[in-house]
Amino acid sequence: MSAILSNLSEDRPIDRAVAREAAHWLACMYGGEASAEERVACERWRLAHPEHERAWQRAQRLNEKFGVVPAPVGVQALGRKVRVDRRQAVKTLLLLMTVAPVGYVTYRTTPWHELTADYRTAKGEHREIELADGSRIHLGTATSVDVTFDGSQRLLRLHAGEILVTTGADTNAGSYRPFTVQTKHGRIRALGTRFVVRKDEEDVRTRVSVLEHAVEIRPQSSDSTPMIVRAGQQTSFDAVSIADSQTADAHVTDWTRGVLVVNSVRLIDFATELNRYRKGLLRCDDAVADLRITGAFQLNNTDNILNALPDTLPVEVLYRTRYWVTLVQPAATPKS
Amino acid sequence: MASATPLQHDLHTLYADHHGWLFGWLRKKLGCGHHAADLTQDTFVRILTAQDKRDDLGLREVLREPRAYLTTVAGRVLLNHYRRLSLERAYLDALAMVPDMHAPSPEERYIVLETLHEIDAMLDALPHKARMAFLLAQFEGLTYAEIAERLAINVRTVKRYMAQAFEECLVLGL
Repeated sequence: MSAILSNLSEDRPIDRAVAREAAHWLACMYGGEASAEERVACERWRLAHPEHERAWQRAQRLNEKFGVVPAPVGVQALGRKVRVDRRQAVKTLLLLMTVAPVGYVTYRTTPWHELTADYRTAKGEHREIELADGSRIHLGTATSVDVTFDGSQRLLRLHAGEILVTTGADTNAGSYRPFTVQTKHGRIRALGTRFVVRKDEEDVRTRVSVLEHAVEIRPQSSDSTPMIVRAGQQTSFDAVSIADSQTADAHVTDWTRGVLVVNSVRLIDFATELNRYRKGLLRCDDAVADLRITGAFQLNNTDNILNALPDTLPVEVLYRTRYWVTLVQPAATPKS
Repeated sequence: MASATPLQHDLHTLYADHHGWLFGWLRKKLGCGHHAADLTQDTFVRILTAQDKRDDLGLREVLREPRAYLTTVAGRVLLNHYRRLSLERAYLDALAMVPDMHAPSPEERYIVLETLHEIDAMLDALPHKARMAFLLAQFEGLTYAEIAERLAINVRTVKRYMAQAFEECLVLGL
């Protein structure tokens, strides 16, 4: 079937010799360390013959293909050891074959995410949910949280990401049930109504900002001292200790409105923050890492944010794939 | 042309005489009648589409031992089928092991699987390390230095592998 299709489409096969040259240039450009000279030479090669450009464009389409597959899945599924000899393969695969349908059914009937978290958001997504007690939680990007309510407590386990909690009165419960957010670093007990909890990307600390009333933080380790953080304050803690509290960042809930506001932050920090909302990898070259950026950005389309960067900063946005983007110095050296 | 050419006649005979036999052969291999029917069909489709690349004489030669010919082609179809299954399984395993990802819809899953299969076929000829180098660069965006360290090879080799992989993809791709 595929033979017919490829005959009909205009995509003639690429000549082996051209493919080899194109492959050489692609390999040069992908390393992330191509010099300005190499980039110019590559441009020149592409212009030298229509077939060169066709090969180059085909490689770009190939990159789009890679973009379709989530990165961790791609490496694992495609990186599986390819069988060494056919006979062994057929044996192994026959075995797989009898097992596979079972795995498939299991997967369909008990989706794993329901086992590990009650609520979750994908990268770039945020949404608000209302809980049985009238509390509302707003889940930020790439967030995963379990909710357990029983006779004696209201417990949220934050596995990843960020939540804004607005606790409810819990009027239907017969007795008072404390409201607690648990992370791997410890527990945050609500003594008030509104606060933001965020697990940092490296998973080493939990950050807490209090908007109204107060919370009590107890790190995981038993010999640590609990601390009360009041409205307008923020702090962070790990399993052992709590940092001194500071004035809360005024923009700490901006994400609930889909906005990112920064004031003179380093480009590399901006990229790190933005990457929380984008699928794939966003990198920032050392040469432009220290540029400063200020502004309010709509997070619903991070591609737009990236594409607008060269208008305000001396940077170039390099798309290797849709999901792999690097901010670099512009190729043509600006006159100084 | 109104009447069938001798070649079409031969193919027709091949189908009529051996379709049932091939189905039985595949069912025994697969232990499943449903897949066997699909793969029997695939085998004949493959023979039909390959036909215009061959001259009549070649086909005549082939038809002298039709069952040997059919099992060769069916064997390839079978292998491709197994390969798809192993990929599908690896995909589901990977999904289950990445708690960070939202559960894909059936449509998404289908698109991803088709794409995986296409990429898998393009990288088929590469040695395992070259394949890994390419995957790490494409999916995880690692630099060559990082890949070199991960795979315990030197940076020049990484670059060579990358070129090798790109070449395969460009020649076989899309």
